[in-house]
Amino acid sequence: MASRKKDEPVVTTHADHDVIVPPNRLRKALRRHAADSIDPVARAEQALAALSTEFSGWMDSECARLDAARLAIRDKGMSARAREALFHAAHDIKGEAETFGFPLAAAAAASLCRLLEDVPEGQPIPLILIDQHVDAVRAIVREHAQPDAEQMATQLTAKLREVTADFLRSVNGGQDEDVQSPPTVPHAAGN
Amino acid sequence: MIRIDFNRLRFLVIDDNAHMRRILRTLLHGFGAREVYEAEDGAAGLEAFTHNIPDIVITDWAMPIFDGLELTQMIRQPGANANPYVPIIMLTGHSEKKRVMAARDCGVTEFLAKPISANGLYQRILNVVANPRPFIKTRTYFGPDRRRLVNPNYVGPERRKGGKAEVIPQQSLLERVKVAE
Repeated sequence: MASRKKDEPVVTTHADHDVIVPPNRLRKALRRHAADSIDPVARAEQALAALSTEFSGWMDSECARLDAARLAIRDKGMSARAREALFHAAHDIKGEAETFGFPLAAAAAASLCRLLEDVPEGQPIPLILIDQHVDAVRAIVREHAQPDAEQMATQLTAKLREVTADFLRSVNGGQDEDVQSPPTVPHAAGN
Repeated sequence: MIRIDFNRLRFLVIDDNAHMRRILRTLLHGFGAREVYEAEDGAAGLEAFTHNIPDIVITDWAMPIFDGLELTQMIRQPGANANPYVPIIMLTGHSEKKRVMAARDCGVTEFLAKPISANGLYQRILNVVANPRPFIKTRTYFGPDRRRLVNPNYVGPERRKGGKAEVIPQQSLLERVKVAE
């Protein structure tokens, strides 16, 4: 019987599935460190903090991209491509805004994502609804340093969620599932 | 204390957003990684994967040409490329349970919802390095074992056939590794 090569996976065959244990090529990267050595997470956070001087400009460019996607829809109509561009722009803001220091903009962008995702295929979306979302995201970013920015953003986002829910109910036969499921993967502390 | 020697790992970051690629590169370099390759869409990502043979792939979900799920399915083709077992960390603004399940069922190893944090990314990388899961191959699935926990009190239908060996004890590598000083 031929012996198994060291870098080949170990395969155990069962009635309707195989269990495969691949060679662990990443084991080489595990090391024991002294307790007082520099924490890599802290070092990465410092590197990110050094980069943060760029974030305001990046947020502006993301807002400009969202606005351009909205204007393309206003000028040429809602093609599949235009809709995808708007969704990607909103989705990126939803994911990045907090990292860039504009956490309040993420919720307004998330409402626009939901509007675009949950509307039935082929159902037109009133342009005013899209305008309200895009304008709200831009206003929240523009006014984020104002003393009442949080209150303004909270009110704006609540209103956006309300009108989005009303619209989705009207086009989904009264159904509107705004369920934010908890993640199913474990989160580390501080994550 | 066990840590990762990042300069022994090669990363591939696939994201259509240049800002997010820069953030990921900054974090990975901050961890100590030297080899970080980038691609801006699924097609370029697959090409970079084939060319650079990374140890770990970090991919976005929503991307042009083909998305992170399609990319994962292409990588998880036994025999089709150099390393169908490569750990894939999906970093995405999608956080709904149905999305997490869809990513899992495509063969994604770890899921990380935005906003990104240094600690969140580090923990996912630590998990794929220190606690690798066996792969399961069925008629409809090829990817990391989706059973992270062995529940002795489970009473539902048995979806895998094959006797006692169907549940694989997954001892943490952290517990058994003999670390080279």
